Amino acid sequence: MGLQDLRDQICIVGVGDTQQGSVPTKTGDELAIDAARAALQDCGLEKDDIDGLFVQPSYGRQGDYLKVGLMLGLNPRVGGAVEASGATGCYMIQHAALLLHAGMANYVLLVYGTNQKTNRNRFGGALLEEHAPYGAFNPSLPFAFAFRRHMHLYGTTEEQLATIAINQRHNSLLNPKAVQKTPISLDDYMNARYIVAPLRMFDYCYVTDGGHAFVLTTADRAKDLRKPPVYIRGMGRQEAFRAYETPDLVMQSFQQERVAKMVFPMADMTTKDIQALYVQDAYSPAILAAIENYGFCPKGEGGRWIQGGRIAIDGELPINANGGQLSETYMVGWQNTCDAVRQLRGECGPRQIKNVERIMCTYTGGLREHAGALILRR
Amino acid sequence: MADYTKPLPVIEPWNAPYWQAAKRHEFVAQKCRTCGYTHLPPGPACTNCLSNDQDWIQLSGKGTIDSYGVYHQLWHPGFTDDLPYNVALIELAEGPQIISQVVGCANAELTCGAAVEVTFDDVTSDVTLPKFRLIRS
Repeated sequence: MGLQDLRDQICIVGVGDTQQGSVPTKTGDELAIDAARAALQDCGLEKDDIDGLFVQPSYGRQGDYLKVGLMLGLNPRVGGAVEASGATGCYMIQHAALLLHAGMANYVLLVYGTNQKTNRNRFGGALLEEHAPYGAFNPSLPFAFAFRRHMHLYGTTEEQLATIAINQRHNSLLNPKAVQKTPISLDDYMNARYIVAPLRMFDYCYVTDGGHAFVLTTADRAKDLRKPPVYIRGMGRQEAFRAYETPDLVMQSFQQERVAKMVFPMADMTTKDIQALYVQDAYSPAILAAIENYGFCPKGEGGRWIQGGRIAIDGELPINANGGQLSETYMVGWQNTCDAVRQLRGECGPRQIKNVERIMCTYTGGLREHAGALILRR
Repeated sequence: MADYTKPLPVIEPWNAPYWQAAKRHEFVAQKCRTCGYTHLPPGPACTNCLSNDQDWIQLSGKGTIDSYGVYHQLWHPGFTDDLPYNVALIELAEGPQIISQVVGCANAELTCGAAVEVTFDDVTSDVTLPKFRLIRS
């Protein structure tokens, strides 16, 4: 028995989201409940069909498993809180898949809601207590380290990095849900202020309020539901604690390469089979790390490889066709998975990727210690 | 020093020798008596073999800059007068990597791979922070 036994056995059958951006009238838990309702409606299940529940905590004591469970009026057989920062949504999908496959649950609901924009959460904490005396605040520092190192080792330029923010902003203009709607030119990017150099304002996600939810079930049950199922073809994860201060790990090479060795064999696929990529992009260098470590391009070539429209919606490997977290909304990766599901169902209107059947979603969490990936197919 | 407004290290029994040494302007790390692994930051056990039989050894204080970021954004009022300030990832000659700052130079002088050596910043009467300066050839 191995991961391959899970190939195509579990499906995402419902996705739900709320208004994104600034939602001052609702708490994060209310948004989580709204997203859960939308996900149930999406797949046509009743609340009481749900027998598994996972909740991602958010800042400001939101997303408590017990409290959200009470508010949903659920009595699930299995579930819990999972906390792995930007990899949580991915990890929950994997936990749910294992529980469904084992027969511990029939329909699992995953929810996340936050009003961290309204709460004015600034992500200004120290990396760890021991780093505060040195002024090492905000989780972008490891990404600044990583990109500086990439520039040093491979000659990658800030103009090349700009391609990511510019491309994603272009995509967000096609996405009615997206929060950021002003186009960015190369000049705009280069003239923007540094936050933690070499990273500029446009390399950062924008903190938003909102909620997302997914419903998963087994492939046999999925056939009877409202929307076409999206199959989990491959999955993998790897932790690498203290990754942010170990040179080999700053670009996430170890952790993401390990995930690659799980997710591609499980899917019986290679990078050539992947038609679009969603990267959990709290900061833009996450995309360079992902394309190199998962093998879409050679090590060190990422900055050059993303040029010339290759990652555009009509390019060879569209990346974050929704605008990603730099431009659509910051839902710690949930919105990327949601968009991947909608792409595979053909629901994406002007940002729809043509004939897309196989999408990979990758996730980075915390100070780069968490890495996970999913390969989804229709 | 009474008006020092930056965060101070949290000193616990297992990291106290590191901070006591810094106060004496000595730079030390833990070396495991069981497996010989040298590691920083301090921890209650060897991160290679989990032994708690650890020694404190003197480090050369020499290292290189692996990478660095320059803060233009203020997240703590104690750093208001320092902007833009650097935070660097230093690889020490003995192997461990630590996050610290490179002082005594302009941020524009920093490069990946530059040689650095430890220097001690007595920030309060009780606390000294190991920082680094460029070794100019």
